[in-house]
Amino acid sequence: MKPMVSKMAAFTLVCGLLLSACGGGGGKGETAQGSGGSAAAGDEKTSITWLNILHTASPPTDTVLNKIEEKTGADIKFSWIPDASKEERINTSLASDSLADIVTLTILDNSSVRNALKSGMFWEVESYLDEFPNLAKISQDTRRSASIDGKLYGVPFQKDLARNGVVIRKDWLDKLGLSVPKTTDELMNVAKAFTEQDPDGNGQKDTTGFMDRSDLIYGAFKTLGSYFGTPNNWQVTDDGKMIPEFETEGYVKTMDYMKALYEKGYINQDFAVTAKTDQQQKFAQGKAGIYVGALFDGKNLLNMAKGVQDNMQLALVNNITSTGNESDRAIWAANNGIGGLLSFPKSEVKDEAELKRVLKFVNDLMDDDVYALMTYGIKGVHYTVDANDAVTITNTDLWQQEVQPFASSRPSETGYKIHDADPLKAEADKLIKENANYGVLNPAYSLESETYTTQGSELQKIITDATYKYLLGKINLDEFKAEVENWKKSGGSKIIEEYEAAYKATQQK
Amino acid sequence: MKDSNTAVMNMNVKPARKVRTDTALDRIKRHKLLYLMILPGVLYFIIFKYLPMGGLVIAFQDYQPFKGITGSPWVGMKHFVRLFTEPTFFMLLRNTLILFALNIVIFFPLPIILALMLNEVRHRLFKNWVQTIIYIPHFMSWVIIVSITYVFLTVDGGVLNELIAKLGGHKISFLTAPEWLRTVYIGQIIWKELGWSTIIYLSAITVVDTQLYEAAEMDGAGRFRKTWHVTLPAIRPVIITLLILKIGSTLDLGFEHMYLLLNSLNREVAEIFDTYIYTAGLKNGQLSFSTTVGLFKGLVGLVLVMASNRLAKKFGEDGVY
Repeated sequence: MKPMVSKMAAFTLVCGLLLSACGGGGGKGETAQGSGGSAAAGDEKTSITWLNILHTASPPTDTVLNKIEEKTGADIKFSWIPDASKEERINTSLASDSLADIVTLTILDNSSVRNALKSGMFWEVESYLDEFPNLAKISQDTRRSASIDGKLYGVPFQKDLARNGVVIRKDWLDKLGLSVPKTTDELMNVAKAFTEQDPDGNGQKDTTGFMDRSDLIYGAFKTLGSYFGTPNNWQVTDDGKMIPEFETEGYVKTMDYMKALYEKGYINQDFAVTAKTDQQQKFAQGKAGIYVGALFDGKNLLNMAKGVQDNMQLALVNNITSTGNESDRAIWAANNGIGGLLSFPKSEVKDEAELKRVLKFVNDLMDDDVYALMTYGIKGVHYTVDANDAVTITNTDLWQQEVQPFASSRPSETGYKIHDADPLKAEADKLIKENANYGVLNPAYSLESETYTTQGSELQKIITDATYKYLLGKINLDEFKAEVENWKKSGGSKIIEEYEAAYKATQQK
Repeated sequence: MKDSNTAVMNMNVKPARKVRTDTALDRIKRHKLLYLMILPGVLYFIIFKYLPMGGLVIAFQDYQPFKGITGSPWVGMKHFVRLFTEPTFFMLLRNTLILFALNIVIFFPLPIILALMLNEVRHRLFKNWVQTIIYIPHFMSWVIIVSITYVFLTVDGGVLNELIAKLGGHKISFLTAPEWLRTVYIGQIIWKELGWSTIIYLSAITVVDTQLYEAAEMDGAGRFRKTWHVTLPAIRPVIITLLILKIGSTLDLGFEHMYLLLNSLNREVAEIFDTYIYTAGLKNGQLSFSTTVGLFKGLVGLVLVMASNRLAKKFGEDGVY
């Protein structure tokens, strides 16, 4: 009996040890391989791990990746995080310190991301940028707006300043004899006509004007807000006072406009619970004729409508105002044109030499041919190109599988010669470029507020909920204002104070 | 005499001493194998359940992940003060308790009734067929069930709303109206879990002594009387046990389920502890505060279980421990 027991105990112990050894050994082996690879292979092939955000349904296959690896001389390993769960995944990765050489941080106003950046967990890169030709080209403005407390904790994603606008069914406009709207009133009329005059001609009243989703920012609300002169999150008065957007007249006007759309039935009635994919699907199915969002979505919508609504024609509009005056044109700039940061955690990138190695890789990603790879794919396989560098995607399905997932990982999306030959995409690019002249920046974007960092997202919920309730006619303006007071009481006033102090400090510099 | 006396004394003392020295350790030694067998279970609970509880200390800190537990500043009861002074807390408590009560009052009796009804079905094939059909929803995930309901209930072409409109009624925004949230929530739980929950009751019913039924029949009892006076009393211990277990677990109202139903317009009735912990902690990074909320929720659950267990014992039942 006794020997048997001790045997069993020994066995259990050994098993446990073995297991833990496996776990530990595996981890060690990996890291050893990682650093060993870079040391041994030297300039030949460096290994890069990248915690990246995925905006498509599934990660890309290896075809394009291999080409990118070839061009950059790196061995890239992605860990993809779906965009929809980026907040919790990034937060848990930060909390458990399971990061990679490169971490894509897109939610810079999330409190734990901000705290992590400020805590010195990531390398400060500003002083290194000028050593690399492509990174050196990042403008001072961009560097400043991507900084937190004046420090740049990564390579900023350079995006177009303002990408939003209105996409309208051109064929429906023509059919009903309407012209492309220039003012918000005309837009309302178009929505009315689309709802009431049977634009698809099937004899049934089954269409609406707008097709929106449950998103007050990237959906219709914020873009319409710009047309009514709403500031981008914050407004600074001449005497240095900060006013939150929801205390401005423009915001209330926008709410009234959306409320009218809702009450008259010119918008899908369940927009408050509609997901983006549903919104786009329904638009493609011809259930509505007005889509407010990123202008380049026009091309995707048209693609989706193939075989469902073959006569769909789209008009892109970026010059709507509430007054009709050209001088009032405005469009909010998402994150002031910064798509986020490519950050390098000190726990993974151990020393300066390694940092330079990773920066070199990011720099290479911005080369013309790598940009072409990440945008259009492989020449002859995914696209053809003419003498004017105009690209036609030849195999859309393959492109969607193998190339599209990389699009959001491009460190820079502007300033390349190669472009899309698709007229709708070209039009979108043109309008987006035009938008930059009217971009409304968020003056608080690079300001610091302790309260905003810790409680901002929490407090914003009060406003978001109240706005939805107002739009759906559940509360009136007085009750909305009471909610704003509630916001102030719960910490909003502190945010205002802190921003005003921070703003003053920057003005005095 | 003296000798024999002392001898007797000694003899008396010795076994007494032996009894006294038969401590827990001795018993463990004697039943080594048995204790060895429970060792993995005990280890499991220590390693995966009790050690992680140490992490609860972050409820008393301003926890920053990169500073770790040792480096984060201690803030005492700050997060508890915040929790109990914020209006959110009462909203969370109210919503959680109301849904909990609905769950017990409305959902809990249903499987018992269904099991009794199934028990009366005499056609075996039909009974098996019905059982299989009603078990299926249990294996669907909440995502699927909520999506199905979405398709049925949406105002934009949802089946139910189209029907209401056809019949001349006004469309109801089931998905956003706060007053419909609880109905939808309980309805979905019934749809998903009703069939599956009958299993234990059905098996409890099968062991009821058939002689009791025969005796009842002799006394002229009909079907209903037999159910009321024989079946139900026989399965009462099972019902009580399940009720206590249910009370213990119902405070976990199902994060996934509620999170899928939650939106800006029904938050005032739909936000429960689980969803709040998730958004505040994982999405907004307030790890310490959400730990505080979680700790409080755990305490409430513990109190509920202990209270119901005591209540069960008072009524002469066994309880779960």
